[in-house]
Amino acid sequence: MFAYYLQLGLRSLRRNPALTALMVIAIGFGVAASMTTYAVFRAVSGDPIPDKSAQLFKPQIDNWGHQHGRTSDEPPNAMDYTDAMALMRAHKAEKQTVSFPIGPSLIPADSSAMPINVVGFATYADFFSMFEVPFKYGGAWPASDDAQHASTVVINAKLNQRLFGGSNSVGKSINLEGHDYRIAGVTDNWNPQPRFYDVVNGGGFSTPPQIYIPFSRAIDLQMQTFGNNSCNGPGGRGDSFADYLRSDCVWLSYWAQLPTAAAVASYRSYLQAYAADQQRAGRFHWAPNIRLRNVMQWLDYQKVVPPETQVSLLLSLGFLVVCLVNTIGLLLAKFMRRAPEIGIRRALGASRREIYAQFLAEAAMVGVAGGLLGLLLTALGVLGVGLVFESQIARLARVDPALIGLTLLVAIVATVIAALYPTWRASRVQPAWQLKSN
Amino acid sequence: MQISPILSALRHHKAGTALIAMQIALTLAIVCNTLFIIQQRVAHLSRPSGIDEAHLLRIQNQWVGQHGDYAPLLAADLATLRHVPGVVDAYATNSVPLSGGGWSTGLGLKPSQNGPTAMTAIYFADDHTLPTLGVKLVAGRNFRADEISDMPALSKPTPPFVIITRALASKLYPHGDALGKSVYVAPDKPSTIIGVVRRLQAPWTGNFAASFSDNSTLVPFRLITNGTNFVLRVRTGQMGNVMRTAPKALYAANRMRVIPDDDGVMPFSAIRAKAYASDRGMAILMAVICVMLLAITAAGIVGLTSFWVGQRRKQIGVRRALGATRGDILSYFLTENLLIGMGGVLLGIALAIGLNLWMVTRFEMQHLSLWYVLAGAVALLLLGQGAVFAPALRASRVPPVEATRSV
Amino acid sequence: MLKMNHLSKVYRTEVVETYALRDFNIDVKEGEFVAVTGPSGSGKTTFLTIAGLLETFSGGEYHLDGIEVSQLNDNARSKIRNEKIGFIFQAFNLIPDLNVYDNIEVPLRYRGMKGAERKQRIMDSLERVGLSSRAKHYPAELSGGQQQRVAIARALAGSPRLLLADEPTGNLDTQMARGVLELIEDIHRDGATIVMVTHDPELAARAQRNVHIIDGQVVDLSEEPRFHSHPEETTQSQR
Repeated sequence: MFAYYLQLGLRSLRRNPALTALMVIAIGFGVAASMTTYAVFRAVSGDPIPDKSAQLFKPQIDNWGHQHGRTSDEPPNAMDYTDAMALMRAHKAEKQTVSFPIGPSLIPADSSAMPINVVGFATYADFFSMFEVPFKYGGAWPASDDAQHASTVVINAKLNQRLFGGSNSVGKSINLEGHDYRIAGVTDNWNPQPRFYDVVNGGGFSTPPQIYIPFSRAIDLQMQTFGNNSCNGPGGRGDSFADYLRSDCVWLSYWAQLPTAAAVASYRSYLQAYAADQQRAGRFHWAPNIRLRNVMQWLDYQKVVPPETQVSLLLSLGFLVVCLVNTIGLLLAKFMRRAPEIGIRRALGASRREIYAQFLAEAAMVGVAGGLLGLLLTALGVLGVGLVFESQIARLARVDPALIGLTLLVAIVATVIAALYPTWRASRVQPAWQLKSN
Repeated sequence: MQISPILSALRHHKAGTALIAMQIALTLAIVCNTLFIIQQRVAHLSRPSGIDEAHLLRIQNQWVGQHGDYAPLLAADLATLRHVPGVVDAYATNSVPLSGGGWSTGLGLKPSQNGPTAMTAIYFADDHTLPTLGVKLVAGRNFRADEISDMPALSKPTPPFVIITRALASKLYPHGDALGKSVYVAPDKPSTIIGVVRRLQAPWTGNFAASFSDNSTLVPFRLITNGTNFVLRVRTGQMGNVMRTAPKALYAANRMRVIPDDDGVMPFSAIRAKAYASDRGMAILMAVICVMLLAITAAGIVGLTSFWVGQRRKQIGVRRALGATRGDILSYFLTENLLIGMGGVLLGIALAIGLNLWMVTRFEMQHLSLWYVLAGAVALLLLGQGAVFAPALRASRVPPVEATRSV
Repeated sequence: MLKMNHLSKVYRTEVVETYALRDFNIDVKEGEFVAVTGPSGSGKTTFLTIAGLLETFSGGEYHLDGIEVSQLNDNARSKIRNEKIGFIFQAFNLIPDLNVYDNIEVPLRYRGMKGAERKQRIMDSLERVGLSSRAKHYPAELSGGQQQRVAIARALAGSPRLLLADEPTGNLDTQMARGVLELIEDIHRDGATIVMVTHDPELAARAQRNVHIIDGQVVDLSEEPRFHSHPEETTQSQR
């Protein structure tokens, strides 16, 4: 019977090509608009590290208070050197790391080649295992390198390709700002998006890091952060690097790995106690004010999903709703125009359910056609997003099987929902209708 | 045209009438808010930076292999750049408008003031800065060459005097008498305002600097660090040449430097495009959605009205047989659409305002101007009339003989 | 076959109640050919729609083939229409989007019949109405008489026990009307019960029995049931 309904539906749709085309186009555009914006939304709001996002925590300590006209009750979104080092020494988490972005120039061994700029992080050995960085060759530097302020470096596969033609370069050296660093490992492709571990700089969607060096070594060399630095007090950065490290300027990103609820609770009380100690010691003139957010909470707090994306998703959904209302109207017109046919079918013994099934099948076919058109338009739309949104975000939006499936599903479900009322009306046509009208 | 018979006819098409009205209402709500967002974006991205962007080029430079004294390198590079053919003038700075990165600080009117009077962007400048940027002084004077001093990267800027923008001046001294007065860039030492420029935008275009986007302070310093931005004023028509020759001249003078491949050499037109990419993108996306929405709504009205006309052919024939003119039939359908449209528009106005209020609380948007709603309402009524015209015309051509035909 | 006792049908609007049928009694025996006559608005079409389960009634009883139908739900009524009743309408009521073959197939589809059997029945009934060559034509491509014969073929294909006809020749000229009537009589000879509404006394005369409706009630004309007569003779005798 279903095949019969499909056959009837196809015949009916072919009878009014203009009306059918209008419905298909409405559904297609509505679905494409919402799916395109959804693709962008999905790209920017996803969980960058699903299996560990609930274990990785971002501690924040308020080292500014309401001093110097500051009114916010939220602690700064980065940490100053004093607090970061205190937490690092305390070593209360299973794993922990402090990092800041660096942008040194790399001087090639071949003296005829031009120096290049590279970007990356000064960090601790735990960084790699905490954030599940995959390695192509070698691995993270040993924790002892952190303690010994060693000149060691991890580079990414792309830089390795450029410098060493992609061969195993572990043990070789590169020169950053005039200092040699021994390569401990080469990372494989790794660029979780949003870049949760450093959303404060670059809004969370920057290019992948090329190098990593030990934090302790970078401080020895007085490397400055390539990212944001914020100071609250009148002293600012101070006059020297030593002043800077003592200042209340925040520029460091701290992460702790806390695998269990108990670990989270005890870390929270540790932070509380630490801040209380600082108050007692006279460094903080305010009550302890700390935060401990996991990855998704942190991304949400930092508003990593651009409001434009949310607004456009919303408006696209509104657009889809208008397209659906439009389709309801057109289907109603199309179905009610066939009231005589329905009357005859009913007189010939079709039950309401059979009429319902017939017209719903017809609507579903419009949905399928709309979905296919929508798919095509979504693909175009995702391409077009590159012209519209910042390329770092646009790059993330892509058409994959999940999106294809969702597009078709949305189109069909939406059309069938839109068809419910017109179909109900069609099924209420009285079998006597035709006799009466004559 | 009598309205009550139309209304009673519509009562027999409750569903169709409600659907068209609802579609008009939703379209109005979405289009008003969308146009409003577009307008805000356009206003945002067409904000003037105050500099002569058409003639300006930025080169990002980082010296490598040397440590310590960058001052001679800076002086040498500037001399090199000023001699590149097509270059009118050049200076070096920490940041430029629209670049997205720079220094901001609070300014006070008293020493060690608790809480700043105004926030400002800090630009490092010399005597060449104003002529290079093409920024106009409205009061006071420019820096002199002998007033420019070196400042190492990590020190606190304590400028003896500053040049500020008019916007900042009126924030600090609302009575328009800022020139010659003091302002505290550093907490303890006052700086004298020696000049006021008409306009110079801060480096940030996002929300961060929304409250002080036109507040800028020029300080008479050379920033002595390994990286700098050179800003070049280029003769009309020479931009393409200078973009090629200027970095070559720098490398020829000293090849121990990095000028990034992708954004190292950028004319201000490109910097502006990059700074406002997401605003422009949003505006385009919204405009596309708006146009499609209006088209779909118009098509929906055409479709449903055509159906009604088809359904009522006999009735129209009877009316014609009873003496209705073509004009009567045409105006019947136009009036019918106008009535539905007005119902939809009334609902739509409420929806538009509701949607905007919700977005105001949820996305910190601004309040929708009522003019947008009214303009949108009129536009949708006209759209409805336009859409209904073709089917109505077809209805008016139904011959009176139709009355005698059976279905 | 068809028995109505004290049946009534009321149309209610906001202002008035109209009795279309009131205290309506009729008994049509299995295999009978009954003509229902009466002036316009007398309720004869209402009677036919109720008889065909196209409409419900307001009061009384209606037994169709021994089943009391007033309590049946829509599905059961659809099933009875589909399996026991054939309709012939004045306006033919073919589905314009479907060709002749597909039109005839409609009731068989709802019966859930297998494809091969459907085809057999469709071809048989088309042959019977003499339109085998027109299976692929659309209704618009046929004359009125041909269309009505397709409608009859559609009714025939389902082998109905009861054939309800509403002015089956009303839209046809005499020549075509005669052919259609012959077909109906043919079906009657095969054993179907036939109820035909008409206001044409000539047509009514062809039935075994006439029932006259005035103001929604059966009026006894005290007529004896007629013998079945040969159509040719009757036609000639009344000319």
